[in-house]
Amino acid sequence: MTVYRIADNVLSPLGATTAENYQSLKEGRSALKHYASFSGRKEDDYVASRFTDEQLRQLMTEGLTWFESLVYHSVKEALKGCSIDVTSHRTLFVLSTTKANISHLSSEAYAKLFPAESAKRIARHFGIITEPIVVCNACISGVSAIVTAKRLIESGIYDTAIVVGCDVVSHFVVSGFQSLKALSPEPCRPFDIDRMGLNLGEAAATLVLGRGAASNERNGDWQIVSGAIRNDAYHISSPSPRGEGCAESIRYATDGIDMSSISAVNVHGTATLYNDQMESKAIEAVGLSAVPAYTLKGYFGHTLGASGILETIMTMYALDHGALPATLGFSETGVSGCVNITSQPFEMSNLKGTVKSFVKVISGFGGCNAAIYCRNERKERNESNKRNECDGEVYSVDHRVRITPHGIDIDGNPLYMESSGSKLLTEVYTRFIAPYPKYYKMDRLSQLGFVATELLLLQENPRRKQCADRAVVLFNHSSSQWVDHEYAKSIVVGEDYFPSPSLFVYTLPNIVCGEIAIRNGYRTETSFYILGCKDEAMMNDILRATLNDYTLQGAVTGWIDYQDDDAFEADIKLIRRNIK
Amino acid sequence: MEELILELKKKIIEALNLEEMTPEQIDADSPLFGEEGLGLDSIDTLELIVLMEKSYGIKLSSPSEGKVIFKNIRTIAEYVSANRTK
Repeated sequence: MTVYRIADNVLSPLGATTAENYQSLKEGRSALKHYASFSGRKEDDYVASRFTDEQLRQLMTEGLTWFESLVYHSVKEALKGCSIDVTSHRTLFVLSTTKANISHLSSEAYAKLFPAESAKRIARHFGIITEPIVVCNACISGVSAIVTAKRLIESGIYDTAIVVGCDVVSHFVVSGFQSLKALSPEPCRPFDIDRMGLNLGEAAATLVLGRGAASNERNGDWQIVSGAIRNDAYHISSPSPRGEGCAESIRYATDGIDMSSISAVNVHGTATLYNDQMESKAIEAVGLSAVPAYTLKGYFGHTLGASGILETIMTMYALDHGALPATLGFSETGVSGCVNITSQPFEMSNLKGTVKSFVKVISGFGGCNAAIYCRNERKERNESNKRNECDGEVYSVDHRVRITPHGIDIDGNPLYMESSGSKLLTEVYTRFIAPYPKYYKMDRLSQLGFVATELLLLQENPRRKQCADRAVVLFNHSSSQWVDHEYAKSIVVGEDYFPSPSLFVYTLPNIVCGEIAIRNGYRTETSFYILGCKDEAMMNDILRATLNDYTLQGAVTGWIDYQDDDAFEADIKLIRRNIK
Repeated sequence: MEELILELKKKIIEALNLEEMTPEQIDADSPLFGEEGLGLDSIDTLELIVLMEKSYGIKLSSPSEGKVIFKNIRTIAEYVSANRTK
């Protein structure tokens, strides 16, 4: 069974439709401009891609925040291009975002603006009745969301999926990237010897996916053939220099494919020193050095939750229309890996008569990487026969750990603890884990997840480390709420304005997955999802769909939510795939 | 200088969340980064840059500038002594 693109939309300062955006790229227009800082200090002025006041006025929708308005309009436009039944219980809604409504963090109504609440409000606007899924996997969220939706359609639970990604440029995020010294003071220069960092951008992008050729409507035959997510298990904010996670995700996505048949690679290419260098090593390692490669960050900036979806859509459109845009900002190569990036557009006239295909590559904080391989071909695929099959349940639960402010239990047995509340975490660390000094650098959500997972894995005898077949798939409702508030305290404009980089890196809930991956050497899939509540059925569906990745034999999975010191819950399982 | 060194040790322990360390355990001349050091990483470098500005009014422009200054506590103390505006 094959999953196809049915419809799409890109909504950015460069255009309200995919076609308009592509036209802007053809004309070499970039949305990157200089903006005065949020802090009031000249040295914090930044370059970004932002909607104009006029565009804001046109797009702002009653009853929705700015972030939600962008999502709404993009979905609305995409749905014009197809006639799916949005009210069906077999239509899924997936939102990909890193920070959603974060600019409303201090609002009293913020609880109604949590990512899942936001997704639900927008979904209901369209009459979508199913529970939305929010993918919050740092910068790879967009590709993660496409892979998740594809797997859920393949699992037979849904026929169509509306996958939308969005993030807005906010004080919170700009100041955070500035504290990491990751922003370029000029328009970014991907892969260039003089690159100085990235620019942020805001946009929304929607990909409507459906199953089988029958669902294919006017938009051609772009199949999402395969995709994978892989963690470097190296560092929570720096990519591994050799790009192993990036390379592994590409290898899985292109398994069995002749690399020389691939038409294009859309790379992440954020123009930071480390990302571009890492990506170039990965591209070379997997044998994609000769394939025309390009990045869109010079036009749109880094659109975070939107980027994986936006850049996939633009690549489909570009290949359909015969030319890849130039990599804006690139002039002279400044990476040691061999990548076919140029400062000119790639004319693709030699693709006539061949099957067009591309790889989308992406990396993000938390050590995660992802890749998808897409082909423009109307051809049904058989189920992968590498997938292990079984009757009945797909997996078994080996162990389970639960932690709340009131206590801990392991496999149903209470663990005697001297303390209670948030002090429980440090007691577990001191008694069962120390020394691991990184523990004290973690935020509360990461400490909770880390400690729960350590207790879980202590039940495994012998404890498996350095494995490439155990995913980390975690869920919550409140995202990184605790550390969001802590970080926000460091960016109050005035004399005490000192954005904290060590707090900012944790303002992505998927970092807890990265900490677990690093501790255990799990070079495998790490994913984080935000739901409206602790929905066991939904978590089960997503977990089973994750096991569609045939390299996986098990997972650390479950619920990790930390609202504040009196309200937190970990409910983690170690699961193992059942083999026939 | 010894007072500043002790003060720096305490501030660094706090800023970098080195909960299990006491000032006595940190040698002023031992490398902070790398295998033999306190195992500090790139994010710690960035936090030290924030610390320089917050506590001593010194603005470093980039992590690469920090690499030289943050070699050990003594080199930091000497740099702070020479450049502090607070």
